[in-house]
Amino acid sequence: MRPVRKNLWPAVWLLLTLATSSLWAQDLASFEKRITLKKLDNGLTLIVLERPTAPVFSYVTWVNAGSANEVPGITGLAHMFEHMAFKGTDKIGTTNYAAEAVALQKVEDTYAAYDRERRRETGRDAAKVAELEKAWKDAIAEAGKFVQTDEFSKVVDRAGGAGMNAFTASDETVFFYSMPSNRFELWAYLESERFLHPVFREFYKERDVVTEERRMRTESSPVGRLLEQFLATAFIAHPYGFPTVGWPSDLKDFSATDAKNFFHKYYVPSNMVVVVVGDVKAAEALPIMEKYFGRLPKAPQPEPLRTIEPKQNAEKTVVLRETAQPIFLEGFHRPAVTDPDAEVYEVISMLMSNGRTSRLYKSLVRDQKIAAFAQGFNGFPGEKYPSLFTFIAATTKGHTPAEISAAIDEELTALKTTDVTPEELQSVKTRAKAQLLRQLDSNNGLALQLASYQTMFGDWRELFRSVDRIDKVTAADVKRVANVTFIPSNRTIAYIDNSKPAQTAPKPAAEAPAAKGAAK
Amino acid sequence: MTTLKRIGLIAAAALLVLAPASVAQVSDYHDIKTPPLRQFQPPQPKRIALANGMVIFLQEDHELPLIRGSARIRGGERDTAAAKAGLTDIYGSAWRTGGTESKTGDQLDEFLESRAARIETNANEDASSINLDVLKGDFDTVLPIFVELLQKPAFRQDKIDLAKTQANTMISRRNDDPQTILVREASKLAFGADSPYARVPEYATIAAITRDDLLAFHKRFVVPNNIVIGFVGDFDSAKMEKKLRDTFGSWKRGADAPAAVTSGTPARPGVYYVSKDDVTQANIAAVHLGGPLRSSPDYPAIAVMNEILSGGFSGRLMNHIRSQMGLAYGVGGGLAVAWDRPSAFNVFMSTKSQSTVEAIDAVKAEVGNLQSKPFTPEELSLAKDTILNRYIFTMDSPSKILNQQLLLEFYHYPADFWQKYPTAIEKVSAADVERVARKYVRPNDLAILVVGNDKEFDKPLSTVGNVTKIDVTIPEPGAAAKKPEAAAATAAPAAPAATTAEGSALASKVRDFVGGKSVVDSIHSTRLVRSATVKTPQGDMEMEIEETLRYPDTQRQVMKTPMGEITVVVGPNAAFMAGPMGTRDLPASQRDAMKAENKLDLLTVLKNIESPAYAFAVGGDEKVGDVSAKVLTVTTEGTTVKWFVDPASGKLLRTVRSGRMGEQSLDYTSWKKSGDLNLPAAFTMTTNGEKSGSGELKSIEINPTLDAKLFEKPAEK
Repeated sequence: MRPVRKNLWPAVWLLLTLATSSLWAQDLASFEKRITLKKLDNGLTLIVLERPTAPVFSYVTWVNAGSANEVPGITGLAHMFEHMAFKGTDKIGTTNYAAEAVALQKVEDTYAAYDRERRRETGRDAAKVAELEKAWKDAIAEAGKFVQTDEFSKVVDRAGGAGMNAFTASDETVFFYSMPSNRFELWAYLESERFLHPVFREFYKERDVVTEERRMRTESSPVGRLLEQFLATAFIAHPYGFPTVGWPSDLKDFSATDAKNFFHKYYVPSNMVVVVVGDVKAAEALPIMEKYFGRLPKAPQPEPLRTIEPKQNAEKTVVLRETAQPIFLEGFHRPAVTDPDAEVYEVISMLMSNGRTSRLYKSLVRDQKIAAFAQGFNGFPGEKYPSLFTFIAATTKGHTPAEISAAIDEELTALKTTDVTPEELQSVKTRAKAQLLRQLDSNNGLALQLASYQTMFGDWRELFRSVDRIDKVTAADVKRVANVTFIPSNRTIAYIDNSKPAQTAPKPAAEAPAAKGAAK
Repeated sequence: MTTLKRIGLIAAAALLVLAPASVAQVSDYHDIKTPPLRQFQPPQPKRIALANGMVIFLQEDHELPLIRGSARIRGGERDTAAAKAGLTDIYGSAWRTGGTESKTGDQLDEFLESRAARIETNANEDASSINLDVLKGDFDTVLPIFVELLQKPAFRQDKIDLAKTQANTMISRRNDDPQTILVREASKLAFGADSPYARVPEYATIAAITRDDLLAFHKRFVVPNNIVIGFVGDFDSAKMEKKLRDTFGSWKRGADAPAAVTSGTPARPGVYYVSKDDVTQANIAAVHLGGPLRSSPDYPAIAVMNEILSGGFSGRLMNHIRSQMGLAYGVGGGLAVAWDRPSAFNVFMSTKSQSTVEAIDAVKAEVGNLQSKPFTPEELSLAKDTILNRYIFTMDSPSKILNQQLLLEFYHYPADFWQKYPTAIEKVSAADVERVARKYVRPNDLAILVVGNDKEFDKPLSTVGNVTKIDVTIPEPGAAAKKPEAAAATAAPAAPAATTAEGSALASKVRDFVGGKSVVDSIHSTRLVRSATVKTPQGDMEMEIEETLRYPDTQRQVMKTPMGEITVVVGPNAAFMAGPMGTRDLPASQRDAMKAENKLDLLTVLKNIESPAYAFAVGGDEKVGDVSAKVLTVTTEGTTVKWFVDPASGKLLRTVRSGRMGEQSLDYTSWKKSGDLNLPAAFTMTTNGEKSGSGELKSIEINPTLDAKLFEKPAEK
């Protein structure tokens, strides 16, 4: 994005920003001094930020692949691999890898046979299915004999690893934890081995765990059910319409072989960024990282997505008849985060719902008292590709989604017809800067931010530059963008209606995504 | 030394020199060396004890140009009456939004947000708190607000009403998500439904909370000797100390907050079931009361036991129930150890409906294993290593260290409590863990709670134990009739002139709908212009009515009809009518009827909900359109009006009264906001069952300046 700016010399850029907002330029300058970026021969990007406050560090491995890289039949696979990355390696989690590898291959072979038979559309032989299923389960039991359950997690825990987790979203899969600084080399080993020699052990049991995650987040939650229907309706072509956790049929069916194929295609060094923040010295840390992560084999960058969501030409409404209290959602298609208007959308989202002076709070929550909360936010379910500007609100007792819809409409009309006042705009800009500042105070938070911007824009500095771009947004920009975005034919509405009880209780058929990010 | 050997040595030396830059490859992680952790003395905050009992902690942190502060105040929900459950929810919210004596909450919002500053207030079971987060350059302009909120909060009624709307919404939504039900009901089982640690607000208890309650709570607890304040950020401690001493030094001491209350009566062991049919999972909890305080010498051994049971991804629960059995995504638990209050042993999980009983059995087995399955040396060392090596993360930022000290001070613990913790953990033996497991865990005393759809369970819950069904139906405001005071009213239907709890709650609801107490009370006069169509024997007659009301008791109506303009004034000093035919006093009967009508005017009634002269009682349900309305009977001085109210929203749908022309009913078909006030914008009128007219609001003025002459009888010509 913004090729003109990208070609500017950093120094020139610094001078420019110094002139407009010195505080932020200082921060950028101070981070420039403390950040070292190295791109390895295999294409992997490493970033080290020295922040020697306490003898600890945090890391983030950001993989530029998520559920948007799935196709029908394998939905949920990106998230499934995220879970597999905690299952150990050929050296951790096994009593005898050579034998285990043979047993695991047998699991895959028996599963393929069983799966083929059970999915047969005509002439399926129930006895044969049962027999093949038994062979598969026997193979699983055999492979299980070599497993040391959760050994990988135990090694991290014992070394003092804190906050170990991961999440999968539409755009990315992200792994992270923190460790005492003296465990740096152990970390570099573990984290590189996890992607160098992953073993897909206990895959089918973990598939059950992920299915439970789906039941918890989506099927048994009214908001989960609503979000799933909302996205599936708003996107007719682009994979942003898929639930990150996967459709139930796919979760019941995909195999470790499918996961392995996905892994080999997308978990390539050129598609990953590893960021370390904390009490480490780049001069010492980078050679260690290079030694371990340099072992990841070079592989071609995955092909970019082909499908682009076509322009919406019909307003869509989804109604979930439930016994739960109403929730209202509406989304408008908007361009990707790399679009020149990205910051205008950011300003709109702050105008609408950042704080108690925001328009939605004042109108829907404070004055009309029709909403318990009302938020407008950007980039749902992702940001990498054209996505949705989404509003979500919960009615207060006795009020209806129709009232919410009308009240949001009124605020959108105001955005389109009346210039935002200079005071309101300035207040938003001040808060945008402070918001960034407040994100810079933890190792983990910094690592996530740097990895995210490095992946999304190819340059972590965009984290600071985007605030400067927010500073340049004008009242005319807001009006212009509101007028092209907030129009009925670009809208998808989804809400829970409890005024008429459902004919039947919602069944697993109503499925939804794990909002943004399903934690392991 | 041969040449060959020398070359070998040189090569080896070269390798040694290269070593720091070129890392030796390992194939087994055990071979990776762990250098000692850098010596780290985390900077401790400066403690300042004021003579009035307030304790202040200052922690400098110059990394970012920010200052954050937090005052934690002893006293919370557990110190309030059960009949007003939810008081601290309303308090914590309206404290900040209700503003200070000098600024409204809305003014604070504008002031703070334009500076990207935040001040927020909160209250929970044992504390209230006020937090500040500000760019350092704005500290001196923002601190006075923080101080004024502490010392002179206003708790304006409109924001109390807003907080109540939000609280009622939370109540209405509390059965939507199975995990919310699980946590709430499990607390009731563990601590007793009557316990301050488990009770939940109801519509009736929220309705019962008044502004005076909030002011009294504030006055009672927000005194310097109950407050611990901490600041962290980019400031100079000496200057900050002076500033804070100058600000708070002269504040007068008050009574100390009371000690922690005990729990209620826990549920009997057994199986408890909440039916929820829109889920595919069963949510399961197993609980019993009983954990010691953190001051107990058993605390370190309990921490190790909890780590073995449920630490990270490698504890027994995750390892067995998730990784090995594949039964759950989330499972965890342990013996809670609190600072100063009773706590519980608990395990929580969720599993597909079809494996509910299997999962319960697995949970029970793991709880039993705490006493029967020996803790292996491997488990013990993993748990201790994990706690000890992770210990650094309890103090890896200045704000974490500050918060630690703040909490220790708050709960009257020694300042070196955490410093001693690692040594205590190191000393924990397998025998210690076995001892605390036997002492505190009681596998046979578990109350097992299941929230789910029992039609889909693998086996009946009765195979686990005696099943008690829990009804989680939310008592609607009307259902407060179960309460003693309302029961008395029901027992004596002959005395309708008694206000019932239900009646006053419903009336308050209407007042909330109209704008809330403070808005209603702030109105001293109104001028409304309505257009109306009235059925007459000659056909429909159009007219415009301008009605000026000066509360409490003076009214002027000007009716512009095709036949001319008629003015009617009724007040304490005059009651007359003026029109084309001249001016004359109203007949006494008509005067009294109009005075009685005025007393039942919407806003007049709403201003008098708390007045003993007015009585509010709720009758049955009646349909108004699609809505099942509650009938609220309002009585004052022997006259009565019936209000048909939507119980969900407080919206007044219809009023019915018997008057001069028979039974007249008005249906309010739409409402309109003007400013903070919500008034009927359109109505249809029915007299004795026949449609008799309709009207709509044209304009409204709130608190207009009124010439006293308007209400005076003009001098006779």
